[in-house]
Amino acid sequence: MDRRRMLALLGLSPTLVAGSPAYARTSPRPGTEGSSATKDASRELITVMNPAIAGKMATRVPLVPPLDALDNKTIYLVNLSWEGPDAANYFYEAMTEWLQKRYTGVKTVVKVTAEGMFGSDPAIIKDVKASKADAAIVGVAG
Amino acid sequence: MDCKIPAIGIASSNIVHYATGYVQKYQTGMPIRYVSVPFPFTGQPRAVDVGYVTGKDMLTGQPMMTAIVKALTDPLTAEEKVAGSSPEAEAEPRFLDPMSEANLRQLFEDREWTDFNSIVLPTEKLVTEMLKGTSRKPSEMVKTINITGGARELTVEKVAISAVMAGASPEQFPVILALATQAPFGNSTSSMANMVVISGPIRHELKFNCGTNAMGPYNRSNAVVGRAFCLLSKTAGDLRNNVNAWETLGNTMQYNSQCFGENEEALPEGWDPMHVEMGFKPTDNVVSVGTGWSSVASVGASQAIYPTHQLMRDYMSSFCASGSAATIVMDPTVAGLLKGVHGFKTKADLSQWFSENVTKRNDSYWGNGVIQSTAVPFALAGVEPYASWRKLPDDALIKPFTNPKAIHVVVAGGKVQTMWFVTDFGFRRGVKIDDWA
Repeated sequence: MDRRRMLALLGLSPTLVAGSPAYARTSPRPGTEGSSATKDASRELITVMNPAIAGKMATRVPLVPPLDALDNKTIYLVNLSWEGPDAANYFYEAMTEWLQKRYTGVKTVVKVTAEGMFGSDPAIIKDVKASKADAAIVGVAG
Repeated sequence: MDCKIPAIGIASSNIVHYATGYVQKYQTGMPIRYVSVPFPFTGQPRAVDVGYVTGKDMLTGQPMMTAIVKALTDPLTAEEKVAGSSPEAEAEPRFLDPMSEANLRQLFEDREWTDFNSIVLPTEKLVTEMLKGTSRKPSEMVKTINITGGARELTVEKVAISAVMAGASPEQFPVILALATQAPFGNSTSSMANMVVISGPIRHELKFNCGTNAMGPYNRSNAVVGRAFCLLSKTAGDLRNNVNAWETLGNTMQYNSQCFGENEEALPEGWDPMHVEMGFKPTDNVVSVGTGWSSVASVGASQAIYPTHQLMRDYMSSFCASGSAATIVMDPTVAGLLKGVHGFKTKADLSQWFSENVTKRNDSYWGNGVIQSTAVPFALAGVEPYASWRKLPDDALIKPFTNPKAIHVVVAGGKVQTMWFVTDFGFRRGVKIDDWA
């Protein structure tokens, strides 16, 4: 028999009640409880393989303590150049004006990332490690 | 990276949803604080972006600057202090619960494992049969999929499951395994897609269509292998709509990634097949995957009044030329005209001509978002030619296809009309299919 024809036939065959019960789940799949997937249980049951792959969860990283206040702090305004650097620059200019009117000695430094929206910037990292920045605002994406 | 200062993000709400959900869960593990601006943010007049500073944070409804100051100064919550131990990975059993066929089909759609066309359900028997198409062990790793996080381990068996779902045969499985090394397919808010080109003798052995309707729905191998790339991309990449698949329009080319074979036998003398230009032997069987967005057709036959390559050039000028990438797919008759009438002795000659002759207004080049995102950092770093182009007047003409080797030419079709497509698809080096046999 032609192999493709055989595959098509086997895909619909009720004789393919295959697979080891030892692997079968005992609880409903997330999202199927009470859905239309559970309304047809009277039909013959078949077992199929799972195409999904388990994802590894990221290790949790805590946030560092926040600032107590913004006075006399240096804040890096990191421009990711998301679809270009102009929009974030406009936003950061206005933000700087707002901050400087309200917080004594606050200093903002706009940094455009060297590697764009998908990369890092070794120079900014170096500055942070050298304690040149007290906090960072990163954006603007969208 | 060891940067111990408080940092917050600013993004539009669609990005924040992704960043605080899927990205935090599978990539960063860090509950980064965000404030949110309205969307769209980029491409707005200056006054609009400035106005967002005095507007509202889209997440909390507070005044934007109040929200920013609070994000920088509010004490950490218990959740924000959690460190170290990662939660256990979500289990995915090898087999699904026994169900009726109808329920299984509903489940596969609920989990977004399909392209919402009918699939072949992957029973163990069919998957075992599929695995006979390769000498590789079922547990062997094809690659780790980490495009949207999660480091998912794509094994030969998982590829076989997707291949069964797509309706493939075991003989096609080595092609699909080679293709799986390039998974997942393009996934970007910019609505990307792929182009899959099959090269070498295997085109005939597996009856890929290289002739009439090569890019249309008229051939089983083209349809099934291309579809398998879609299905394994979705399952292995865990790509789900509005969860981690954010293509705003999407792209219909993703259904089967334009899978077709090159009509190598119809190439003019001196024009090498695509895989040979990539450095493979003519007898190698190769699958190549291109990534891009757009395709423009000649819409009719080539005309003597305006040489074909000049019309191609004109149409190419509409592309963004990201990475200097372009691919021209042409009927063998067009290739014959370009060589016989216009003197392009090789594909490389034609690519070189495009590189030297496609021009674009400077403001049009920089008016593209992908170029802004990728080329501006180069320009700001002084990398040429981008640095010089940034200083040119808007109406200056530049030649954006700087690298002729990134301009590919593929010949396919049935010699029915002298037509062609110019596309902005850029190709990575192909993958040898026989390595996966």
